[in-house]
Amino acid sequence: MRGVIAQIWGRSTGRLGLILVVLILIMGLGAQVISPYDPNELDILNRFSDPTWIHPMGTDHLGRDLFSRMLYGTQTALLVAVSTIIVSLVVGTLMGIGAAYAPREVERAILILFDIISSFPSLVFALAVVALLGPGLGKVVLIVSITLLPHFGRVARAQVLSLKNAPFLEAERVLGASRARLVLVHIVPNIMGPLVVLASMDIPVVITIEAGLSFLGVGVPPPLASWGTLLNDGYANLTETIWPVAFAGLMLTLATLGFTLFGEALRDAIDPKLKTDR
Amino acid sequence: MAGKFSRRSMLKAGAAAAGGAALFPIFAGPAQAARERITVRMMRDIQSLDPANRVSYVEGNVMRAVLQGLISFKPGKFEWELDAAKSITQVSPTLIEFELKPGLMFHGGYGEVTAEDVKFSFERYIKPMANGQMAQYAKDWEALKEVEVTGKYTGKIHLKNPAPAIWLVNLPDGSGSILSKAAYEKLGDQATKSLIGSGPYILEKWEPNQRIILKANPEWKGQKVAFNEVILKPVADPKTAELAFRSGELDFTVIEPAAAKEMAKLADTDVISLDSINFVWIGINVSKPPFDNLKVRQAIRLAIDVDRVILAAYNGAVTRAYSLIAPGLLGYWADAPKYKRDIDAAKKLMAEAGHEKGFECKLTLLNRPAFQAAGLVVQAMLANLGIKLNLEVLDGGTFWSAGKGDAGKNLDLSIQRFGGKADPAFQTQWFVSEQVGVWNWQRWASPEFDKLNVAAASTDDANERAKLYIELQKVMDQSAAYIWLTHEVNVFASKKWLRPAILPNGDDLQLGLFREA
Repeated sequence: MRGVIAQIWGRSTGRLGLILVVLILIMGLGAQVISPYDPNELDILNRFSDPTWIHPMGTDHLGRDLFSRMLYGTQTALLVAVSTIIVSLVVGTLMGIGAAYAPREVERAILILFDIISSFPSLVFALAVVALLGPGLGKVVLIVSITLLPHFGRVARAQVLSLKNAPFLEAERVLGASRARLVLVHIVPNIMGPLVVLASMDIPVVITIEAGLSFLGVGVPPPLASWGTLLNDGYANLTETIWPVAFAGLMLTLATLGFTLFGEALRDAIDPKLKTDR
Repeated sequence: MAGKFSRRSMLKAGAAAAGGAALFPIFAGPAQAARERITVRMMRDIQSLDPANRVSYVEGNVMRAVLQGLISFKPGKFEWELDAAKSITQVSPTLIEFELKPGLMFHGGYGEVTAEDVKFSFERYIKPMANGQMAQYAKDWEALKEVEVTGKYTGKIHLKNPAPAIWLVNLPDGSGSILSKAAYEKLGDQATKSLIGSGPYILEKWEPNQRIILKANPEWKGQKVAFNEVILKPVADPKTAELAFRSGELDFTVIEPAAAKEMAKLADTDVISLDSINFVWIGINVSKPPFDNLKVRQAIRLAIDVDRVILAAYNGAVTRAYSLIAPGLLGYWADAPKYKRDIDAAKKLMAEAGHEKGFECKLTLLNRPAFQAAGLVVQAMLANLGIKLNLEVLDGGTFWSAGKGDAGKNLDLSIQRFGGKADPAFQTQWFVSEQVGVWNWQRWASPEFDKLNVAAASTDDANERAKLYIELQKVMDQSAAYIWLTHEVNVFASKKWLRPAILPNGDDLQLGLFREA
């Protein structure tokens, strides 16, 4: 682990990515401690305040402290990203391993399901689900998790297929190891590297989908703060103040940039074979 | 102009336009050739083109351009003038005689407008529809007994009782529209989608959620229209509409009051502001526990600081409403109670109602920024009572059916906005018992209100009517089911070369009377 971090730190882009990721983690995890105000506290007479010492990022159209809302928005983004990645990583990996070991018909069925999910534009799918079930944080996690399943499923299946007949697994099998033992003890640890890299690369995707859904009003419900709702509120009041849009846009940019650079550096550190020319 | 537009395309176009204007100010406002078409924003797409079942002014604006009535409003005024009628006379409080102008032709070859068409059009409101239900605007013609056809162009409108409101609410407006009986007989339900009329414009095309194209009617014998084509584009989001206006995709749009100052700075733009007679309120569904308890409703009313709500929602551009009927109209209740936020009294009422710990409920509202801001403020204020208020933000299509039928039984609180007309009978008709599950989303049924409403609508004496309408608002106030927010202000951005015609309520456009300035 220390070696991986050292390798990431050794590259300038990796270093920048790591710094940004750590910064975002501190903002999100420490929101309750750092936040100077309740993010939902209204101060209507002090709307559209420019950045001041009292309100470092100014206030929004309801007089809420933008800095506090930005911190809680970071928390929302991380919460959605981590939950979504965990759900889709676990379920997708299990489905990928299942497809690799299952009879041909079942394998085909799983692959067709992946194709169907991939063929839906994630935003259209999300709007359809929200129309049926209504908006909410849990539903955002569910929607994005489903759209990411094929990413993890396909990689897991390909990795298992390449390992399935490896000599060390043949030897285990000859020694009487059960299939469950083979999968849990030998296969899963060996395929986790590429999957973790993929997960880190998918975090910015999840963050932007969540922000997009919240911007459209079908993501996190009000008054919860999200970078998407902050952008939307700011957009509706753009003629009054540019700060909500500027800061929420900046946070989204930094988060996507940070996690992307970090993911690429992690990929190169864990599995240099996956490195692609850019 | 026909292409789709998105926020991105409009931002690009807006930026390009702004950049261009900054670089080449000399080109601002060149002389224009006569314009063939105008593009006007609709707040949403139309849902029904049946005048008796229109949803709101959005449909009404299309109908006003395509259909004729016996009379219509003068440009920008709530005063009527003859339209399809050559003459119309109130012979007695319950009898009106009319004679149509000869030679008025329906679009699409459906023949001449006759008294039979008038009879067909008006009596639709007093007969059940094919599904057995009455039309949504049936209350407009509640006083109608029958239309007697006395000749090809002449007829008599017999009323059951005096109904002074019909001269301002029915005859010159949507419910007074003359439809082609022949078209309905031939097309059935399709007639409501093709809208056969005899007005200045023809409904050329309706592309759902994209646009409506109105073409000048070549057979129109009235005052010549200024534009051969009127394109109506549904744009729900006000900011998108502003950007579309800036980029030249729209020539005329309603804007948020808060944006008026910025829009007025644009070189080629007139900003028009009209005090409105509409009414916006927070309604409480009295049929659903715990809101069936008067003390809970009173507590909610006392917990909400309306002044703060409208300051946040409208940026201080509107004044507060204290009752249903707007100032200046007959029946305005000048002494209506001016409730102030009193959280201690509200908590006491909640405790008396057995809800000292509060409860969870939802506020259903339209996805307009002003209403969303209002919703967030109300949410924060009710939290002080222990009420966890979830906001259910819906788009126009979903919102306007949320309170209908059985679905309406599940509403808790809702923010509603209805358009007003010149006569208070229009404003009050939505709150009667018969409208429960139709437009009465508070599901408040008061026999006393119903009785007063009938009495007020069928009285000729203006003073007596005013008294009755005030009484009727007192009954509403006692129910605590209505928390009045504002009568609004309507603000429009219009290209300087355009002279729009807007009726004083600020919602109703007279597209056939739009002119070049």
